[in-house]
Amino acid sequence: MSAVIEAKGLSKRYGKRTAVDGIDFSIPAGRIVGLIGPNGSGKTTTLKAALGLIPFEGELSVLGYDPRTERDALMQDVCFIADVAILPRWLRVADAIDFVAGVHPRFNREKAERYIAGTKLKPSMKVKEMSKGMIVQLHLALVMAIDARLLVLDEPTLGLDIIYRKQFYQNLLEDYFDEHKTIVITTHQVEEVEHILTDLMFIRDGRIVLAASMEEIGERYIEVMVSHDKLSAANALQPIDRRTVFGKAVMLFDAGAPGGATRQQLAALGETRNPSVADLFVATMKGSYA
Amino acid sequence: MNTTTMKWLLRREFWENKGSMFWAPLVVGALLVLLVGGTIVYGVAAHGVPAHVTINGQTVANGGMAASVTLESREMIAKIATGMYLATASPLFFMLSFAVFFYCLNSLYDERRDRSILFWKSLPVSDQMTVASKAVTALLVAPLITIVLAVGASLALLFLVCVAFSFQGINMFSAVLASRDLYLSPLILVALLPVYAVWALPTVAWLMLVSSWARTKPFMWAVGVPLIGLLILKWVDTAMEKISGVSLAIMPYAQDIAARILGGILPGAWFIFKGGVPAGLRPSENGVDLPALVSNSYATLAGLDAWIGVALAVLMLFAAMRLRRWRDEG
Repeated sequence: MSAVIEAKGLSKRYGKRTAVDGIDFSIPAGRIVGLIGPNGSGKTTTLKAALGLIPFEGELSVLGYDPRTERDALMQDVCFIADVAILPRWLRVADAIDFVAGVHPRFNREKAERYIAGTKLKPSMKVKEMSKGMIVQLHLALVMAIDARLLVLDEPTLGLDIIYRKQFYQNLLEDYFDEHKTIVITTHQVEEVEHILTDLMFIRDGRIVLAASMEEIGERYIEVMVSHDKLSAANALQPIDRRTVFGKAVMLFDAGAPGGATRQQLAALGETRNPSVADLFVATMKGSYA
Repeated sequence: MNTTTMKWLLRREFWENKGSMFWAPLVVGALLVLLVGGTIVYGVAAHGVPAHVTINGQTVANGGMAASVTLESREMIAKIATGMYLATASPLFFMLSFAVFFYCLNSLYDERRDRSILFWKSLPVSDQMTVASKAVTALLVAPLITIVLAVGASLALLFLVCVAFSFQGINMFSAVLASRDLYLSPLILVALLPVYAVWALPTVAWLMLVSSWARTKPFMWAVGVPLIGLLILKWVDTAMEKISGVSLAIMPYAQDIAARILGGILPGAWFIFKGGVPAGLRPSENGVDLPALVSNSYATLAGLDAWIGVALAVLMLFAAMRLRRWRDEG
C-alpha cells in the first residue's frame, strides 16, 4: 500500500518567517507516528497543511488526495483534534453525539457512548458546564468513535489528568488502532506516548532532523553509563550528548552515523541501554532553545 | 448536496440560536397575549362593550350595546379582526429582524473566535454546505419559526377577545370562524416568505461576508463601512457640486445600496425599496386587502434591481465560503 502522507518540498511561510522549510517525508499505513519538536518548530503547521486548513507550497498528498483542492473528499477518511480546537460552549453531550452520527458515515454511536460512560459526562450536560478535562474527554470520545483511516492528534491530552491520559492511550492502542489505520501524534508529554509509537519524527526550525522507526532508533542510539576510568576513551568516540546521573557520566552515541562507534566498542565502556525518546529529543534539540 | 447533512446543519444552527430564534419570541408572544389580552378582557369585563371598537386605527361605530349589535356590524368587526389580527404580533417580526441581523453577523465569526471552527472542520462537512445552512437558517428557518409563534399568539389573543365579548352576550365566534381572512392570514405570511428571502438575501450575504472576514468587531465593519462610505460619497458629491456645479448623481444609488445591504431583513422592506407602500394596501374601513398584499409584494420581484441584489449576494456568500475555507486561525 502506498504512503498515507507523502510530502515533497513542503514549505509554508508566514510573511518573512519560514514555518516549514521544504521538508520531505513519507508515512506509510498502519503506523503510529510521533511528530515531536519544540514550540514553534513547525509541527502544527505541517499538520494543518496535511489537513487542508492552510495553503502551502510544494507537494503533499494525503490518502492520495491533495488537501488544498480535495479537502471535502479527504475529510471522509481523516479525523483530527487540533491543539487549539475547542467544542462550542452551547453544545450538549447528547446533541454532539447526534450531530456527528448524523454527518459522519463512519461514526460508531455505541463506541462513543461507551467512552462517555467511562467519564463523569452526562447526556444533558452542556460544554460550558464542563471542566477543561471533561471537554477534552468528550472531544476524544467523539473522535475515537470515528473509524478514520488517518487520525491526527495535535496535543490531544492537554488538560487531562494522568489517569485518563493513560487510559486514553491504552484505548487508542487496543480499541482504535489496527493495521489499516495511521495515527500522527504531537505531544509535549513524550514519555507517555513513546511505548505506543512505531515511528518518530523530530522537527526543528521547520526541518525534519530525524525520521526513523522505533526499531531503527533502538539499533542506532545507545546510551552508555561510562565508568570513570574510560571517560577519555568514550569522549574519543564522539558522543552526541553527555550528562551526569548520580555522579556517573551518561553518554549518548549514534551508532548509525558514518564512522560512529559500534555496539561492541560501547559495551566495553560500561553499561549500555536504549535511550528514552525524551533523552534523545533533548540531545537532538540542543541549542534550539538558546 | 447531501440532504441528511443539511438537515443536521440546520438543527445545529437551531441548537446554537435557540434563545434568540425560539425562546425570545415565545416569551414576547406570551407576554403580548397576557398583557394585551388581559387589558382587553379586563376592559370589556369592567366597562362593558365600548360604543365603538378601534382596531389598529380602524373604527367600527355603532358597536353599541350588546342587544343592538347587528349581524352586519358583527361581521364587519370579524372581518377587520381576522384580517388584521396578525398585526398584533408585529413586535415579533420586528424582533425577527434583530435576531437575524445578529445571527448573520456572528454566524461565521463566533466559531473562529472560540476556535470551535476546527472541530466543525474535522467533520466531513464542506464549507459550501456550512455557509448555505447558515443562510437558509437566516432566510427561511428563523422567519418560519416567527410566523408559527406569531400566528399562535395572534390566535390566542383573538380567542381571548371573543371570550370577553361573549361574556357581554355578544357571540363573535361564529362570525370570526366564518371569516375567510382568519384562515387566509397565516397562509399569506407563508406566501410572502419567498419575497422576504429574495429581498433579505443581500443583507444576509453582506453580514455573513463581514462575519467571515472581520478579525474583530464585525458589527463595526458591517455597519460602519456602508455608513462611512455613504458619508464620504456625500462629501465628494457636495464638493463636486460646489466646485463644478455638476453632481455625481450617484447618491440615490449609493443610499439604495446601503439601505439594501443593511435593511433588507426588515419584513416588508421591499415596499420601501420600491418607493413606499402602495395606496391600495393601506388599511381601509374594510380591513386589509390580503390578496393584494401578496400580489403587490410579488410585483416587486419583477424589476431587475431585486435580482441584481441576488446576484451580488451569491458572490458575497461565495466569498464568505472561500474565506472560511482558508482562514488560518493561529
